[in-house]
Amino acid sequence: MNLFKGNLLATVGFIIISIILFVAIFAPLLSPYDPNYIDINSILLPPSFDHLMGTDGLGRDVLSRMLYGARISLFVGFVAVGIATLIGIFLGSIAGFYGGWLDSIIMRLVDIMLSIPSFFLILAVIAFLTPSIWNIMIVIGLTSWMGVTRLVRAEFLSLRQRDYVLASIVMGTSNTKVITKHLLPNSLTPIIVSSVLGIASAVLIESGLSFLGLGVQAPTASWGNILTDGKEYIQFAWWLSLFPGLAILVTVLGYNLLGEGLRDVLDPKNK
Amino acid sequence: MKQNFLLICSLIFIISCSNNNSEVIDYNDNNLSTGGVLINAMSAEPSNLISMIAGDSASSAIASKIFNSLIRYDENLNFTSDIAESWKISNDQKTITFKIKKGLEWSDGEPLTSADVYFTWKLITNPNTRTPYGSDYALVSEASTPDANTFIVTYDDNYAPALDTWASLEILPKHILENEDINSTFFSRKPTGSNYYKLGDWVSGQQVNLIKSENGVLGAAYIEKLTSRIIPDTSSQFLELSAGNIDLMNINPIQFKRVFPAKPKLKNRTALYKEMGNGYTYLGFNLKREPFNDKKVRQAINYAINKDEVIKGVLLGLGEPISSPYKPGTRWSDPSLKPYEYSPKKALNLLKEAGYKMSDDNFLVKDGKTLEFEIITNQNKQREMTAVLIQRRLKEIGIKVSIRVIEWASFVNRFIKPGDFDVVVLGWSLSLDPDQFNIWHSSQQGPGQFNFVGYDNKKVDQLLEKGRRELNLDKREQIYHEFSRQLLDDSPIVYLYAGYGLTAVNKRIKGIKSPAPPAGIYHNSQDWFIPKSLRRNELTNK
Amino acid sequence: MIKYLIKRILWMIPMLIGISLISFFIMHLAPGDITSSEAAFNPKASEESRQKLRELYNLDKPVIIQYGLWLKRMVELDFGNSFASHQRPVLWEKKDANGNVIKGLIQESLPITLLINLIGIFLIFSVSIVLGTISAVKQNSVVDKSITFFIFVAFAIPGFWLALLLMYWTGVVNQWLPISGLHSLDYKSFSEIGQFFDLLKHLILPVSISMLSGLAGISLYVRNGMLDVLHQDFITTARSKGLKEKNVIFTHALKNAILPLITIIGLSIPGLIGGSVIAESIFAIPGMGKLFYDSVLMRDFPVIMGILTIGSVLTLIGTLIADIGYAWADPRIRKGLVK
Repeated sequence: MNLFKGNLLATVGFIIISIILFVAIFAPLLSPYDPNYIDINSILLPPSFDHLMGTDGLGRDVLSRMLYGARISLFVGFVAVGIATLIGIFLGSIAGFYGGWLDSIIMRLVDIMLSIPSFFLILAVIAFLTPSIWNIMIVIGLTSWMGVTRLVRAEFLSLRQRDYVLASIVMGTSNTKVITKHLLPNSLTPIIVSSVLGIASAVLIESGLSFLGLGVQAPTASWGNILTDGKEYIQFAWWLSLFPGLAILVTVLGYNLLGEGLRDVLDPKNK
Repeated sequence: MKQNFLLICSLIFIISCSNNNSEVIDYNDNNLSTGGVLINAMSAEPSNLISMIAGDSASSAIASKIFNSLIRYDENLNFTSDIAESWKISNDQKTITFKIKKGLEWSDGEPLTSADVYFTWKLITNPNTRTPYGSDYALVSEASTPDANTFIVTYDDNYAPALDTWASLEILPKHILENEDINSTFFSRKPTGSNYYKLGDWVSGQQVNLIKSENGVLGAAYIEKLTSRIIPDTSSQFLELSAGNIDLMNINPIQFKRVFPAKPKLKNRTALYKEMGNGYTYLGFNLKREPFNDKKVRQAINYAINKDEVIKGVLLGLGEPISSPYKPGTRWSDPSLKPYEYSPKKALNLLKEAGYKMSDDNFLVKDGKTLEFEIITNQNKQREMTAVLIQRRLKEIGIKVSIRVIEWASFVNRFIKPGDFDVVVLGWSLSLDPDQFNIWHSSQQGPGQFNFVGYDNKKVDQLLEKGRRELNLDKREQIYHEFSRQLLDDSPIVYLYAGYGLTAVNKRIKGIKSPAPPAGIYHNSQDWFIPKSLRRNELTNK
Repeated sequence: MIKYLIKRILWMIPMLIGISLISFFIMHLAPGDITSSEAAFNPKASEESRQKLRELYNLDKPVIIQYGLWLKRMVELDFGNSFASHQRPVLWEKKDANGNVIKGLIQESLPITLLINLIGIFLIFSVSIVLGTISAVKQNSVVDKSITFFIFVAFAIPGFWLALLLMYWTGVVNQWLPISGLHSLDYKSFSEIGQFFDLLKHLILPVSISMLSGLAGISLYVRNGMLDVLHQDFITTARSKGLKEKNVIFTHALKNAILPLITIIGLSIPGLIGGSVIAESIFAIPGMGKLFYDSVLMRDFPVIMGILTIGSVLTLIGTLIADIGYAWADPRIRKGLVK
């Protein structure tokens, strides 16, 4: 694992995430059952060789639901963070490169968004719209772009003063070209780190929304709603909450370790 | 670091010493006595204890213990006396005379008379009162109080549900509310009533305490104090019940059938009750759309749905199939009516009669169009599961069904109100009065009205109109039995199930009727008691 | 300094208008209002009476007019009355004509949420400073790695799951702690000290759960800040002067590393308030998070607007205090050396 220059935590994170991505991608091949097949004759069976993670209150195979749920949970994380990152890069570039009144407006918008408790905002929007997967991803994305915006802006502000950037501006290179050729590639590190950490938060937010009944809606399985189903029987059918709980924990942990590890590895200060 | 560790260890030690685990209790003590505290769990805080304005179930549960109506339903759901000791219907069926009991008092000692009843009627019919329930009472053309013990109402037109409306109107004290604005009065959180209990204190968001009233209209209860704890999350409620901190909570079928049997310790100190619930779940067709305007198609789908399987799967068997919109066991429910049995064969025959043919890929087709539709329902686990089971059965006979689950507000505003749906899975309440005019009369199809399936049957319209005007119970029964039969035959909806209400109660609470009468276990809650030896000692040492 | 303060406070007005615009827009994204709740889908309630209610609450007017009406009331600091809970004032208590006091919804719920979050913030910072410092001093050691691992695990556990497990373990299996609620049922009969300890006992689990997620960020912040400081010249100088390592870390390095933390307090308020929804639902605590969640489900517009506004004002005030505190604590800024 030369990639992480011997950083143990980052390596562990990378391995965890790779396994989970593998599982998510190949869920249809790995699942022993149809995740949505209701079998009223095998409700709440404990783990056995037939059902490695038991069955849920509708007799569905928990393992299969967990595998498909991995897809949904990770998908929500990726798309939400993707949206946030794109908005962040766009607004941050404008603010950092052009400065002036554009910068002021964008930064005030950032201040406003940072002042509203974002979970409240997410809650309200999702409750008012229907809590579909797409709405959840879009709303999480639309309420978490502020960090990236600030990061990109700060990087641009400092990079702009570098000689080679000033030189290419003087030489008449177009603004878009300066941004995409010189500024963006050089501020990629913090963006990547914050995106990786953002995915972890999005997975947690989805599970929190599920707890409140506003997460990904049944019958589609997500780790959040499997866990929420299971919490009702925490003293009785432990397998219903243990597996999704651990899955969320390990995944979020993996992303965090990877993100922080990457920061350490890529940050020149730590060399 | 080490010091911290020691500190934490000793802290845990101290905490664990302060509570000794509860000793074994003998639940066989049945000695009747007054006193004790019953603690139950509610999922939501009452919004306001004036039930004509509130409308949420938490509010009405508490308010019904504080207030009385003119008349009430007895355990078999027949009318009996409450504030009024008797009532008489005039020969032309247009006037009802209520005789109010003498010497009644509000819990603050003021007399309760016909003036209070009149005041309450004025209040609910006042257009400034923010109540959704006023229209029934506005039908009264004249109300009068010749003396303190008589209240007379006259209707322009016979109105058979009248008695039911008077059984649901809780009478409010004139002497307190006279000069109050009913829409914002303090009274909603500090009521004075006339029933078994009065409000002790209300700790916002946490608990509502009711204290036994000594001068209640119907006598005195045994249990001294009813504490309702507000615990929004049902898993937390169940943990509290497991720890013995609450005595009573509503449970779900899985807890009833699976969790309790697997937890002997918990089972030993808890009694489980089931009673007929207050609502039923149905599959409703949009009768204005193809192919649901064809009765044969509706009946076929009815035959193709296995209701027993749905009840077994969704409710673990804790429910009943129904064949009319009335509570089984009451006079309005006709025992000779039987639900459509599960018969894919009959279903297929009916569909063939309706012109459908089986295609090569095993779907039914008519005029080149596959028989397929979308079931929509709101976010409700049981309804979702019901839809899935139906989807599977219908696929077996060649009907393609998709399911869409929608959040309530958009469900109503985007789909039900504009009539933009194929098939819904929804619920209606099993109302105590048989009048179903608002749901089935053809005039009730406007946006926001309740005949949103678009049912239009002249004969049913006539029956509903007749039933509304007939105050003689036996004649009324006949009318609604005929209505039910017609409705079942037309099959505008498929009755799926009426689930049981399930309650877990600590065995220290005695006097609960089992099996539950039609009115449910709470019906005689004033007669419940807690024997002295079974009380929580920490709460009874005042 | 005073000029700066005034500028900051004036700046809050356009911010608040921006916030309220966003909030108002969100509430009207989808159809539905207080009259279309599931409880209102009742054949006993007629469509006319629902229409009447809509008119009473001005819900039949165009959104822009509703916003104008709201803004007009806000100018007089009137947050309006709740639709869902019998016209209770949203913000602060009101006295009716007969002298009965009706408490405000936010007035009752905000102190509870604030109490939990302030204890939470205090604990997060205390624990984080300890953990972060240890991590930094023992950089790349096993201790450092295990601390990092531990705080990440704490961050990664779904809070409500851990809460239920702890409730089951400490409340049902062992009966050490109360499971839910804020007080024992008979707390009013306790002495004042008894009531205090009763409250404390009820707060142990909710506070622990709500602080877990904040631990990771702040600990790492302290760790990285500490590492930066430890590599700076004045520390090297102090070391070379022969000061004890303990002295160097605690008197010189820590002070400089913690200073920037003050500004984070303000920024962490919205996250904590937002997170309180779940903790308050599961532990049956009647705080502002629970109130917000209920209001959203009921579409109780005045309460939703009130909470979003108050929540944002709190954040703005928090950031302001943090900035002032930072300026005051940093000798360079205090002495006017740096702008």
